Amino acid sequence: MTAAIRVSDLRKTYGATEALRGLDFEVPGGQLTGFLGPNGAGKTTTFRSILGLTRPDSGDIEVLGLRIPGELPVLTKKVGCIIEEPGLIKAHSGRVNVEIAADTLGFGHDRIDEMLEFVGLTADAGRKADEYSKGMRQRLALAAAMLGDPEMLILDEPLDGLDPAGQHAFRARLRTLVEEGKTVVISSHDLADIEALADHVIVIDKGRLVSQGPLEDLLGEGRMRVVVSDVARASEVLKAIGMDSIADDEGLWVEASDGSEIIRALTAEDIYPAEVRRARNTLESVFLGITGEGDL
Amino acid sequence: MSLLHAEYLKLSRRKLYPMMAGLLVFLMGFIGVLFYVLLPALPEAAGAGAPVPDRPEAFEFGAQQVAGQAWWFAVILATAILGGELATTVWATGLTRDSRKVNHIAARFSVFTVASWLAFILGTVVWALITFIAAEGSGSPTTGEWLSLLWKFALVAGAWTAIGIGAVALTRSVAVAMGIALGISFLDSIVAPFVDFYETVSLTAATNGIFDVGGEGPFSGFIPGGEFTLTHSLAVMAGWAMLGFGLTWWGLRRRDA
Repeated sequence: MTAAIRVSDLRKTYGATEALRGLDFEVPGGQLTGFLGPNGAGKTTTFRSILGLTRPDSGDIEVLGLRIPGELPVLTKKVGCIIEEPGLIKAHSGRVNVEIAADTLGFGHDRIDEMLEFVGLTADAGRKADEYSKGMRQRLALAAAMLGDPEMLILDEPLDGLDPAGQHAFRARLRTLVEEGKTVVISSHDLADIEALADHVIVIDKGRLVSQGPLEDLLGEGRMRVVVSDVARASEVLKAIGMDSIADDEGLWVEASDGSEIIRALTAEDIYPAEVRRARNTLESVFLGITGEGDL
Repeated sequence: MSLLHAEYLKLSRRKLYPMMAGLLVFLMGFIGVLFYVLLPALPEAAGAGAPVPDRPEAFEFGAQQVAGQAWWFAVILATAILGGELATTVWATGLTRDSRKVNHIAARFSVFTVASWLAFILGTVVWALITFIAAEGSGSPTTGEWLSLLWKFALVAGAWTAIGIGAVALTRSVAVAMGIALGISFLDSIVAPFVDFYETVSLTAATNGIFDVGGEGPFSGFIPGGEFTLTHSLAVMAGWAMLGFGLTWWGLRRRDA
């Protein structure tokens, strides 16, 4: 698959702080990519560098085949973005805010109604932005970002602070955009959101790439959950046949893809498990495993 | 045109503008009433001679007073609005990365300048009404003289607007930008009367030059620009406007959004 974004050896320093330390990654085109990292990992700096808002110290960025920042003026028309809180003019209606965005970015007004309908704000377009909930403001920002019918959307924490209904509505629209063939890149604090939405995941930490690939590959086949009364003995039996396990109060997590061998080994030693099932990895467990951090 | 429309829409709902215009009108009205109604009514002032010109010179005197308020009005308007935008990434995006950077700057410069210009006209109208009713003397400026105020105000508004947006684009801070503009205004008016070379490029002197302030009289030596030709004044005004415009472009280009 063609890479929509290619970043290599990206470096950015703020004073004594190294925000990006030779970051490399690729974002596949036509998919929704989740961009993950603990606080301070460099996610926003990376987005800002890709969008030309921040000038990196060194490194190469290529977006939709265009070199950044050299070909930024061309790219501006092809990429929509929401970075941080949308700066709406609260005294104006939602519609006028989108008109202002269209005028400012050099787009016509012909797609405004369509975009307001797409984000579900047609009925509220005449209300002042001051009366909008955070979810409505985010959707309005999405409408503005979509005005130029961009090939790619880059959204920094778009689901942050939205209520469940707002998140659901926003997620549905993002999926629709991906189904239309657009490339969407989002960062999020909520790993469950990324797990539910993303096709591809990039994990960075301390300004460097930690992992990247299709979500399914990252999650892997999972582990087996074995519930037994004598956890210590079961662990020894499984270790004897080459299966490593992690014990907790109720049972074992076993690195294996098949439960039949576990059952055979345990019952041969008169250990009868109450439960043996496949437990799929969650993005959270994978993330914590590869970054060693709990605070996104 | 679309950028001008966007800037107009943004400014049209800003409470700052009507508040500032109201303050300017109040100031002009207050000074007019003070000079032409209150002071003449005081017994101790009677016979001492009017502290201000009678009609028809009173009208131009009012325009000079308005021009004297120009720096703060144009600077506050420009710095507060542009500074506010630069603090919000969504607009900073357009300003800093868009290929039409010069167009963006020109649109803001134009709309802020016109907004200040309209406020100056409003202040002058209020002054003129008070003068027409209360000032001694008779007569009024010719139509040509009234119309000449329009371009004079536009020049002053443009120069100070450019300084304002230049200062805020460089510093990205409304307060610091206002401080810089205040410093320019203060130093410019202090230095110009005493340093001949600086007087030739002084904004205060150029403003005095186009409004015919200080050409004659006992204190004319302390009022810079009294001897400026119109061409000289125009060149100085244009120079300051271009400097501010250039600093804005450079300020937006050199720093991250």
